[in-house]
Amino acid sequence: MRRLLACALAWLAAQAAAGQLLEFTPEERRAIQRHGPWPAPWSPDPSNRVSGSTRAVELGESLFFEPRLAPSGKVLCATCHVPYRGWQDGRTRALGLVEVDRNTPSVLNVRYQRWFGWDGAGDSLWAQSIRPILDAREMGGGAAQAAALVRGDRELACRYARAFGAPPPAADEAVLVGIGKALAAFQETLVTGGTPFDDFRDALAKGDAAVAARYPPAAQRGLRIFIGKGACSVCHFGPLFSNGEFHDTGVPFFLAGGGADHGRHGGIRRLLASPYNLLGPHNDQRSRAAAVKTRHVALEHRNFGEFKAPGLRNVAQTAPYMHNGSVATLADVVRHYSELDIDRLHADGESLLKPLRLAAGEAADLVAFLESLTESASALPARRAPEACAP
Amino acid sequence: MEERRGAVRLDAAALAVLAAAAPAAACELPGAARVLESPRAALAYRTIPQPVAVGEHFVVELAVCPKAEGAAAAPAEPRISANAHMPEHKHGMNYRPALRLVSPGRYRSEGWLFHMPGRWEFVFEVGAERLADSVRIE
Repeated sequence: MRRLLACALAWLAAQAAAGQLLEFTPEERRAIQRHGPWPAPWSPDPSNRVSGSTRAVELGESLFFEPRLAPSGKVLCATCHVPYRGWQDGRTRALGLVEVDRNTPSVLNVRYQRWFGWDGAGDSLWAQSIRPILDAREMGGGAAQAAALVRGDRELACRYARAFGAPPPAADEAVLVGIGKALAAFQETLVTGGTPFDDFRDALAKGDAAVAARYPPAAQRGLRIFIGKGACSVCHFGPLFSNGEFHDTGVPFFLAGGGADHGRHGGIRRLLASPYNLLGPHNDQRSRAAAVKTRHVALEHRNFGEFKAPGLRNVAQTAPYMHNGSVATLADVVRHYSELDIDRLHADGESLLKPLRLAAGEAADLVAFLESLTESASALPARRAPEACAP
Repeated sequence: MEERRGAVRLDAAALAVLAAAAPAAACELPGAARVLESPRAALAYRTIPQPVAVGEHFVVELAVCPKAEGAAAAPAEPRISANAHMPEHKHGMNYRPALRLVSPGRYRSEGWLFHMPGRWEFVFEVGAERLADSVRIE
């Protein structure tokens, strides 16, 4: 009898240590599996001939931390995309030469995106990397100034030649595009590490209930809301937790100084007017297959006030939230969707969003789930000073 | 943009060609095509790749075959269009596919992307005929 009791107590202790595993339905399990594996497969950008090149990554990293790309010498890519702040800046709105209208998105996992920027005005990471260099409010530079820097700096010129197989060309714009492509190659290496959610998801896939049960019950309950009644995963879809598209979520888009942020509508217009889009001469892919999105993107009235659904990996480290940084915490984000004012939504927009009306415990569970998307350890190598470039 | 919008629709001459050359009985495509029928037309379509994945561009191939009895009563300016939407969400795609004639009665449409999981409805118009097909995308 004593032995039986001891066994029972040991079993109970093991269960307590192992935690609990909710009984997810087969449909829920399928939905959970769609958010992995992580890291997701990736292949180099065919529109960028140096995508995936180690030499280009080295050049891009040098340029990312290069203040002289801005004529003032005071603003660099890393001013807003700060490595120790999750590659964003923690500010409500980004501050370049002046404060701009939008929140700085992290560049972690940016290689997986289809469109770039909150409004998707960039159809490639290299084009998106050129934009802030030229923007008078951000870095305030130009092609001539950036090209002169790369041609005139021995180290940068050497790295450029190693990355592209030839010295910086005479045409300023060609050098600027090369800078964008090297910056893109570097940013493509910035990928987040595995998370407690990934451990849970992979354990479920393997049928390892003991490991799956280590995932906190609150996060499991929050996940159930995320893929179920919350319908969050409809837009925050897939391994990146983003479908890469644009939605009106009822966040005001009026600007502090007057006017409105046109969001995706303005983004598409800028995209199609850009000399750096994938339909233009700087796309390195002869077939132009990667330009299918640009060739077919539809400009609709409903695009006013739409902004990209951001990926949610490491989301707990990238406050504040929304395109204008107007929501301070994850709890506030959940409250936004719980108490959504549908009168703020476009009348001709999608009819997907409805107030979730979450109980306090449900809201806390959803936050616990979102926090479980934080990497357990960085997957990035420690940064080190680059070795001198020898031509 | 205008060229893209215009490319979705085919003119009357193109449909006249297919009406003469493609009887309904031959309304087939290789592989696992879905076949839709209305009183005046039959249509087979398939996606490439199959199945469609959320967030991935895909191509639609079509075989369109007005039925003999319907062809005579076809409108003066028939047209063909292809698109898709999510009925429950009340929105369509964020992309505008283009449709081109490949051979008599055969079409290829590029630029498709389903950006959400759930029920999507393909909608094909052949003249005044509307043919629709629902699919669930995971």
